[in-house]
Amino acid sequence: MSASAAATNRSHGSFGASVRWLLRKLGGGIFVLWAVATAIFFGIRMIPGDPAEAILGGPGSQASPEALAAARAQYGLDLPLHVQYFGQLWRLATGNMGTSYSLKIPVTDVLRELVPSTLILAVLALLLAWAMALVLAVLSTRSGGLGTALASGLEIVSAAVPHFWLASVLIMVFSTALGWLPPVSTNTPAGLVLPVITLALPLAGFLGQVMRDTMEEAQRSAFALSARARGESETGVLLRHSLRHAALPGIALSGWALGSLLSGAVVVESIFARPGLGRSLLSAVTTRDIPLVTGVALLSAASYVVIMALSDIAERLVDPRISAP
Amino acid sequence: MTLAHPLANRLVPAATVLAAALVLASCSPAATSSDTSTDAGTPVTGGTLVYASGDAEPTCLDPHVGGNYPQALVASQYLETLYTKDADGKLIPWLAEDSTVSDDGLTRTVKIRDGIKFTDGTALDAAAVKTNFEHLLNPETASSTGYLALGKIDSMDAVDATTLELKLKTPDNSLLESFSMPWVAIESPTALKRTQAENCASPVGTGPFKVESWKKQDSVNLVRNADYVLPVSTAAHAGTAYLDAITWRFIPEAATRYAALQAGEVQVIDNAQPDAIAAAGKVSTIKHLDAPRPGASNRIELNSSKAPFNDAKVREAFIHAVNVKASIDSLFFGTAPQSFSALSSVEPLAYSEESLFGYDAAKAGKLLDAAGWSNRDSEGYRVKDGTRLSLTFPVSTSQSIPAEQSLFEQMQATAKESGIEIKINLLDLSSWYGDLAKNDYDLVSAPYTKVGPSVLSVLFSSASTIPAPSGYFANHSQVKDPALDALLETAGSTKDEAERKDLYTQVQKKVLEGYYVLPLYDQQNHFLYSDKLKNVGATTAVATPTFFDTWLAN
Repeated sequence: MSASAAATNRSHGSFGASVRWLLRKLGGGIFVLWAVATAIFFGIRMIPGDPAEAILGGPGSQASPEALAAARAQYGLDLPLHVQYFGQLWRLATGNMGTSYSLKIPVTDVLRELVPSTLILAVLALLLAWAMALVLAVLSTRSGGLGTALASGLEIVSAAVPHFWLASVLIMVFSTALGWLPPVSTNTPAGLVLPVITLALPLAGFLGQVMRDTMEEAQRSAFALSARARGESETGVLLRHSLRHAALPGIALSGWALGSLLSGAVVVESIFARPGLGRSLLSAVTTRDIPLVTGVALLSAASYVVIMALSDIAERLVDPRISAP
Repeated sequence: MTLAHPLANRLVPAATVLAAALVLASCSPAATSSDTSTDAGTPVTGGTLVYASGDAEPTCLDPHVGGNYPQALVASQYLETLYTKDADGKLIPWLAEDSTVSDDGLTRTVKIRDGIKFTDGTALDAAAVKTNFEHLLNPETASSTGYLALGKIDSMDAVDATTLELKLKTPDNSLLESFSMPWVAIESPTALKRTQAENCASPVGTGPFKVESWKKQDSVNLVRNADYVLPVSTAAHAGTAYLDAITWRFIPEAATRYAALQAGEVQVIDNAQPDAIAAAGKVSTIKHLDAPRPGASNRIELNSSKAPFNDAKVREAFIHAVNVKASIDSLFFGTAPQSFSALSSVEPLAYSEESLFGYDAAKAGKLLDAAGWSNRDSEGYRVKDGTRLSLTFPVSTSQSIPAEQSLFEQMQATAKESGIEIKINLLDLSSWYGDLAKNDYDLVSAPYTKVGPSVLSVLFSSASTIPAPSGYFANHSQVKDPALDALLETAGSTKDEAERKDLYTQVQKKVLEGYYVLPLYDQQNHFLYSDKLKNVGATTAVATPTFFDTWLAN
């Protein structure tokens, strides 16, 4: 067997492994989506009250029997539960998320309108959190004992701060007292500052804590020692070698970070009166808007699945010790 | 009728308090008191008013559909009603010219004003009003508020262009009051022919503004109706509105709403909380509009259908065992005067009986001893036949503002001193209605907005203990008293205004003296606005502000 044949064989094998890996991820993803759809379908029906009321203006409405019956028929709520359930799964599988009870427009339209707004917020917050965590990790590792203690304290405090408290304090200081930034968020640069900081700060605390630990560990490791022996400066070692290590847990935590950002968005979008997925989810839950709750939850679950897969790939790219997918 | 209150502050009651504290601290020392009502200066035409609502965004801008208070607030800008209330609270014809009723009370003739057009060019006439009533009564419209107001109409006929004749099933002397509510506002019959989705997005009325666009989850944009005709000259000026436009925004958080007002991003906020009102009192550039809602007062209803409140002595004891006055004074910063009536103070027929409601622990103790609740258990609560004197109190976090929830907690503490246990359950609206439907409550506080004393019939007649198909019923005290029913019946049908007043007074006496309710205060409805806005204060019959006379100073 020639050398080239062996090489092809090996790459074929790794291609097959990649496909299997992808299929496994895909299967897992579909399972997660099914589980979310099922949990919501049955979960929301356990809250007392009639979904038909939600359509007619919320619980406690004094809708007439005729109006309730008409709404039930229109939304298929008069069908047996299993028919509704499988009908719902089938519609979801074919990409039909139904019509929002409260907004009376297709859920896909609602999502299409709201996703960019929440995405801008989440991505900016994630980038800012990453930047703050890295800068803090690098600076504190460089400056040694006191710097580390200070940074560590800062990280713990910011990681522990609840979003609603932070948001309120930021509004009081920067909108009410100083008048620099608007308390109501828009998609202008000024309108994004406060909500992005609110979301980013606690996340930066978490990421920074983990990154700095890894970085300090890397600084003490054999490869750092050998780099120093080669005459690499301390900054060089930090930036060229340890930083890559510190990035790893950050990447691995991205899926978790996304979850934290989305749950944070519920609070932040409500406080800063910003249209978005989080705020809609809150009002959808309050008004028992089943199609919209399902839509937002499925979208979050799907993006979680995708981010986890992407962070798996990224981890493999950054760290050659993990076999390539 | 039952109205979803702001979802507002569920997230951050603590932050709000903190916000208020810092806001108070950051007030400029030069600030002086506000609330001067004289609006000096010459009105300026133009400008856009930005209104920030704390309520959930309506799902439909046509208040015929569903029918809640947030819809009434925004619809009051572009829809008008057949009747309304003037500045003195007197019922006056608006889109109607006048109205007469037959001697037997079964035929109501309504004259419709001539020369008024909807903003789509359609003329207002009797047939248009008839179309509106049919729209409200059609189950497909899914009206849950307006259709109740028209419940006694049997048939209707547009006799000529300006005459509408209504045949009633039974006499109803509250019909004109019902006509003054935005849930029964009159819309263009041409526009009503569109699909419900279209009509929900841009209902067409006769008001001083019209709906230009609605960006869901963001804002409703209203622009001046350039062809507006003022039906009756009760306003400060004639012609069209001064403002070019109104942007109607939704800012659910009370603290953000107030911050946006301070920052000048918005000029009016609703659902102003007691702490913000108190803080605003020290800011010269912010003014306050206090517009209590009509109908029932905010009150705690005592469930008389089961033990322990099936015993009138225990109800009376409970009312004396809680110190409501002290709590209201401290928690509401003087923004909510205590009520001693089942009706709102804006109702002309409201009857108050202050002497019944006072904190008197000694009296409560004597009453409870006499009622057989003299023994105490190890925790200090009273017991009778092995059962603790325990009261279940489901509280809706979306209907009771944080200050009200704190009031209930303080009541819990004072009641304990008299040996009464109060179990407060904080619930979302669905679960709260669920507990009421299961009769799993002894105490409950539920708002009810309606124009006129006929709300008493909704709240205290035996018929109102029978649940609607949705499980809802309004008589939470579960008063079932044939004598009271008879009084309500006659009070609601008599043509004699003096007799009506006398009968409704008797009704209220029976309810208060039977200790079925503990009145707290009027249904709170506070607005804060920038002093750049002049001539704010006009409201509809349901206390929603209107901005026809309002102008924005440069």
